[in-house]
Amino acid sequence: MLLKNFADMPPRKRIGLIAILLGIIAIFAGDPTSKARTTIDAKEIALLSDSDIMEVHTDELADWIIKGKFDYRLIDLRNKGEFDKYNIPSSECLLVNQLLTSDLARNEKILLYGDSERTSSQAWFLLKAAKYKSVSILKNGIEGWKKQVLFPKCTCDVNPTTGQKHNHAKLAEVSNFFGGGMQSGSVKPTGTKMAMPTLVAPAKITLKKSRGKKKREGC
Amino acid sequence: MNLPLFKFGYFNDEVSLIVAFIIGIAFGFVLERGGFGSGRQLAAQFYFTDMRVFKVMFTAITFAMIGVFYLSWMGFLDLSLVYISDTYILPQAVGGLILGVGFVVGGYCPGTSGVAIATGKIDAMFYGVGGFFGIFIFGEMFPWIEDFFNSTHMGRITLPEYFGIDYGIVLFLVILMAIAGFTGADWGEKIMAKKKLAKAKES
Repeated sequence: MLLKNFADMPPRKRIGLIAILLGIIAIFAGDPTSKARTTIDAKEIALLSDSDIMEVHTDELADWIIKGKFDYRLIDLRNKGEFDKYNIPSSECLLVNQLLTSDLARNEKILLYGDSERTSSQAWFLLKAAKYKSVSILKNGIEGWKKQVLFPKCTCDVNPTTGQKHNHAKLAEVSNFFGGGMQSGSVKPTGTKMAMPTLVAPAKITLKKSRGKKKREGC
Repeated sequence: MNLPLFKFGYFNDEVSLIVAFIIGIAFGFVLERGGFGSGRQLAAQFYFTDMRVFKVMFTAITFAMIGVFYLSWMGFLDLSLVYISDTYILPQAVGGLILGVGFVVGGYCPGTSGVAIATGKIDAMFYGVGGFFGIFIFGEMFPWIEDFFNSTHMGRITLPEYFGIDYGIVLFLVILMAIAGFTGADWGEKIMAKKKLAKAKES
């Protein structure tokens, strides 16, 4: 009966009725902008997590920063206290539970790092599940940065080759840029942690932080 | 699928121009077929004699809003990546007033004048030339009105954010508003038609 009445209505009334129905459903549908509710493509995530494309090496990141390449958002997942003590230049502090409510856009390149790869992996999964397109993890996190960029060890022989000398000079240059310094390979680990450079030191790094000219949009 | 396609890098700048060209042609075609290429038809909105343009426009807005809501709700569209221009409430209100006056006097808005020019309407060509002249005057005057132009900035704000209510409620209210508008437009057209008939009988 209802369907027959509906079918007998003039098209404009039918469209109006459908629109009202969709409007009523919309009231109870919830916030469409919420990133909390999502569907996960488990197969896609499994394939991605199995590949290397989700990892960025520390020397690669150092190179990007030195060259002024900032087409990505570098996210420090540690707490504010640790972030303030030391953070990788150009990074932003965001905890895992703040990621989905932050201003990170789904089409941005996002690079995550934390104290451990566990935190970074959790954040990576969360963002990928929320359909963020390009999310990567800094390999070995802040510890990797410390060991490979800030305080790299010299692995030269007693009589270093030209290649080793060149490599040593490059490592020294990069670590100096970030306020660190080369460690001698002969030094045995003492068990005490090396002090991270204070934030005053990286302040001398003049980063040409530019994400490119913002495109004008709209009419 | 991730929408907007361009923002998610499905095609580059060059391809986006081709896509824009195709969408532009489709948009122009639909506008012309909807009666937006006639200055008389457009100006008739303001005299309640023929509300076709109003009905087409409001239907398009409501349909687009329903589509955006549900595409976003289903996870196909990221609304935060859809461009929304910043709100400057006072200069935009003044600009809207000027546009409205120009609309009634000239019979076109900037977009519809383009459609009418394409169909060879001479009045639209004059309107277009006037528009470019107005842009030139605005550009020359800009240093004097820059402060006003940038005043009352509210940022990227939407109705649900401004009123602090759910997007779904705003959608429902806009649908009701559209239906009320269409009913009111029908009513206005009938009254004006009666008046016209009475006038014709008198003369």
